[in-house]
Amino acid sequence: MDKSDIILSINGINKSFPGVKALSDASMEVRKGTVHGVVGENGAGKSTLMKILSGIHTKDSGTIVFDGETIEHTTPIQSIRRGLSIIYQEFNLVNTLTVGENIFLGRFKEMKGLRNSHKEARKLLDSIGSTIDTHSLVSDLSAAEKQMVEITKALSFDSKLIIMDEPSSSLTADELKRLFVIIDDLRKKGVTMIYISHKLDEIFQLCDIVTVMRDGFIVDTKLINDLTRNDMIAMMIGREIENEWPERPRCAGETLMEVQNIRTRKLKDISFELKKGEILGFVGLVGAGRTEIVRAIYGADRAKDLKIMINDKLLKIRKPADGKRSGIGLLPEDRKLEGLVLSFSVKDNITMSSLNNIAKFGFVNTSLENDIADRQIKALSIKTPTPHTKTKTLSGGNQQKCIMGRWLELNPDILILDEPTRGIDVGTKYEIYLLMKEIVENGGSIIIISSELPEVLAMSNRVLTICEGRITGEFNPEETSAHDIMDAAIGGGD
Amino acid sequence: MDVATLSFGRKTLKILGKQKAIVAVALILIAMLFSSSNIFTRNHLFAFLVVAAPDLVIAFGVTFAVICRACDLSVGSVMCLSGIIAIQLINSGVPVFIAVLIAILSGTVIGFINGFLIVQQKTEAFIITLGMGMLLKGVALFMSNARPVSTQDPAFNSISNSTIIGLPSIVVYMLIIGVLAYCLLRFTSFGRNCYALGGDYEVAEHSGINVVRTKWAAFVITGTCAAIAGVLLSSRINTGSAIYGDLTPLLVNCSVVIGGTSFAGGVGGIAQSGLGIAVMHMLRYCMRMFRIDGVLPGINQHVQTLVFGIVIVAIIAMDCYAIKRKKEDV
Amino acid sequence: MLKQEALKKKRLNKVGDFFMEYLVLMAIVALVIVTAIVEPRFLTANNFRNIMGQFGPLSFTALGMTFIILGGFIDLSLPGMISLIAMITLSLFDVIGEVPAMIFGMALGVFLGAFNGTLLVRVGATTQAKALFITFGMSQIYGAISQLITGGHPISRLFIEHPAPITQNLSSGTIGDIFGFSSFLDSIPITFIVFLFFLAILFIFQKKTVLGRSINYTGGNFLAAELGGIPTKRIMVMIYSICGFMVAIGAIAAFSRTPVAAPEIIGANYERDSIMAVVVGGTSLTGGRGNVLRTVLGVSLIILLSNCMNLMQINSHLQEVFRGAVLVTAIWLDHRRHANA
Repeated sequence: MDKSDIILSINGINKSFPGVKALSDASMEVRKGTVHGVVGENGAGKSTLMKILSGIHTKDSGTIVFDGETIEHTTPIQSIRRGLSIIYQEFNLVNTLTVGENIFLGRFKEMKGLRNSHKEARKLLDSIGSTIDTHSLVSDLSAAEKQMVEITKALSFDSKLIIMDEPSSSLTADELKRLFVIIDDLRKKGVTMIYISHKLDEIFQLCDIVTVMRDGFIVDTKLINDLTRNDMIAMMIGREIENEWPERPRCAGETLMEVQNIRTRKLKDISFELKKGEILGFVGLVGAGRTEIVRAIYGADRAKDLKIMINDKLLKIRKPADGKRSGIGLLPEDRKLEGLVLSFSVKDNITMSSLNNIAKFGFVNTSLENDIADRQIKALSIKTPTPHTKTKTLSGGNQQKCIMGRWLELNPDILILDEPTRGIDVGTKYEIYLLMKEIVENGGSIIIISSELPEVLAMSNRVLTICEGRITGEFNPEETSAHDIMDAAIGGGD
Repeated sequence: MDVATLSFGRKTLKILGKQKAIVAVALILIAMLFSSSNIFTRNHLFAFLVVAAPDLVIAFGVTFAVICRACDLSVGSVMCLSGIIAIQLINSGVPVFIAVLIAILSGTVIGFINGFLIVQQKTEAFIITLGMGMLLKGVALFMSNARPVSTQDPAFNSISNSTIIGLPSIVVYMLIIGVLAYCLLRFTSFGRNCYALGGDYEVAEHSGINVVRTKWAAFVITGTCAAIAGVLLSSRINTGSAIYGDLTPLLVNCSVVIGGTSFAGGVGGIAQSGLGIAVMHMLRYCMRMFRIDGVLPGINQHVQTLVFGIVIVAIIAMDCYAIKRKKEDV
Repeated sequence: MLKQEALKKKRLNKVGDFFMEYLVLMAIVALVIVTAIVEPRFLTANNFRNIMGQFGPLSFTALGMTFIILGGFIDLSLPGMISLIAMITLSLFDVIGEVPAMIFGMALGVFLGAFNGTLLVRVGATTQAKALFITFGMSQIYGAISQLITGGHPISRLFIEHPAPITQNLSSGTIGDIFGFSSFLDSIPITFIVFLFFLAILFIFQKKTVLGRSINYTGGNFLAAELGGIPTKRIMVMIYSICGFMVAIGAIAAFSRTPVAAPEIIGANYERDSIMAVVVGGTSLTGGRGNVLRTVLGVSLIILLSNCMNLMQINSHLQEVFRGAVLVTAIWLDHRRHANA
């Protein structure tokens, strides 16, 4: 292979954090003008590798050659100026500033003032066909628009290599299509890209070459055409799995909950019912109102004229505490922000909602509390050194299990799971599916929201499609094709 | 084109909606129309500006700290201290110019130390400046032996009490500092970097902005402005005392926020802060002046404090409530 | 080999952690030792009694403030509240008698605290910065009401006709004065006993009860606590009410210490000193981490510091400088500790 064809080559990179070996002898080469996919479970070392490239972390050993230049020490800004940009999952933009200012952040002097920055920004945005006003505040933009701004920012540095970390996680199908067009366009212009994703479909659709990582090792780098989906999964998790999902549970019985007339600014007349032992899936785009529906049911948001009946009993749910008391549990969308108290221990996070149940005259029984924690840690096989370890040191999957454990201890009639598997590795995902199955087999009901359509379709007994605050359809996923369901979810048909 | 003008119009409305301070000023002025004492005169305007000038100067400085997502509660003590330093140096024979310079530099040094502790050592600005304020208050008490100090030097006295082109000199100084601060924040790389790191510290850091130096500099500016205010104030009343300024830091920080400079960082500006201070001082000044002949001889001092407190609570509470409503309306 | 080293390191870290964790305790021990050497009078029984007597108003208000800071909030309305409660309670002495007046004062404290909390909840001020300014405004309001009620005049206890034995003995009296027996206990001041009483109750409340534990969750992550089914808003009102109650006790202790209570002076600086005591003790300003025992350490450091400086006859203004310096240093070191953890 021609050496000049390689834009980035990394060789024998090692990186350890206290107690963890994050990268072992990682080597890979990226060819100019390709879209290079990087896949792997959470904790496989993808992010660490990219952070070393960008200069946020420093490597322990190994060499990095970028564009013919050996890089020893680097800082984020130096890498960007060399032509290596990273677009993170959590956007690297200042919300309180305008688009133009964000694109040329920290380059005030080079740009000779704000007016010029805005002019240049306009030119760059036009070049990728975006119509975002350079004077609007970043906080007013949608996730897709923010991504455009990030790409524009990368282009403003004449980037030769752009790394995208899970770019699709907050995009709708349409927006994703546009992103793919832009990526394709950039590839034609000779820009190299590294595309990190959990979603194998995207990798197959977009990438030329794929690198698979596992446990800090690089398993292999292959042309996409030489790989099948199952090969890739096997490489990622180190074993063949027969199924990505367990067999669909079938326990649906009589009607358990009836919801009538959820009306808010965003939701219009949402009514539906949930059966005992049923898994009900909500399908829709991000922002269609899925999360708002469950938040209203649980009492986290205010809704007018909301009528919720469980077992034909009308309930008054005004705040989450009411929802909890009525036998509803919610696993929130953003586990770090809304789910966990990150600076508290695993035990504290698990027992948080059940303190009332183990208290006498308002006094907590400490030994019962420890029992609960031990029981749930064992039942969910949460990987933590001790129950007293702070949750912020755990991996995403184990953090999610802590919140699951919190609700399982209460054994709610209805458990609402909002994006339960987001950012969680394949192995833990399967465990969560098994848990869901166990819950309904024991008589509970589940409402699941997920942006991963295959997951909802594989697990649910019934699917409701939601589009712009309305329920647009009810389907049996066993009888209807994914295409039809998606069609209803994006408001097609009329 | 159409879209641009429309969004401009919407932006203006949005800004006006956020600017409760403007509404408050308007309401106060309307109320004063009913007063028997006419405050709409040049003399009253000057008198008002002279009284408000020191706080305005402090607020200009504090704005830098607040935009960088911090606050500074030591400004009151810095103000006392610099006044006392200036006067005592003059009394011990140091030329006025040098004495004033040293007094102002004392604020710079304190700002530097605050910056070191807050930015370099990453302590919480709120509590560390509270402690610093306590410490400096002690220094001021110790230096003045808890008694007011004054000087006979006419040169020092005339700093704030002369006129320049028809305006009281203290107001001129205030305006100069205001314009300088405005330009610094608005048109320089340093100012834009303040906004950036206040909006998102890590992003700013990764974008190659020297965040530590920028935020540090913001505290130095805050300290310096507070010291300048101290010199202006002590020159105006020809007294330096450790007993002023107990409420100053909170009032100034509060006014800056009322003006629209957000405590969440990255939003606001000199003009907004000036407006916030104007609201507070105008309220004070107008209540003192308010009387209706034959009906109301004047407002009781304690009632003034009461109204003052209610206005603070009301304005901040309205802001909070608007955000809450917006959040609930899903 | 490697494992052993790691273990050793871990153990060393643990010792280091302990020192860092109880830095304030170390500072207190160091202070005691140094003062005992320099000034022998420090170790006399009389001085101990003196120190115990210093556990006055500040220690009560700091206990109350602990709960607010633990819940992730702040309360600057203390000066106004103390002034209002003290003035109303004192004015009621001649009207309804001492004990009913004090009970009324405590109820008023709970009410004012609950009002603060409810106001914050109602307007949606769920962050510390918003609470800071609103309670600052509330302090002005309470202070102004207190001034209006008294007309700005101080109230002298000499002019109170109704007998007020509790007020007279609370600050200066000892257990011996009440029970008449003479033993070691004899010299313990009453305020100190009252302080220990509330400390014990509040400690058990915070550590053992569901409500107490809920405060930690609320301070640790407000959103997560709310979605976890903890009634965060009720908790907010509760912590402000607890603080209000403790402030009322503090107000009573404050006016019992002085023969003349002036509305504009009696509450001054209590908000500042209470926050300082809490934070110096090691309760984190960001909420969720800390407890009332830490506050006791913070208060003790402040009290011992003034005691030592008084014994060494340091100029009172210079004392203020030292106190400020110690507080700044303590907070600085505490932050370093958390930064390293």
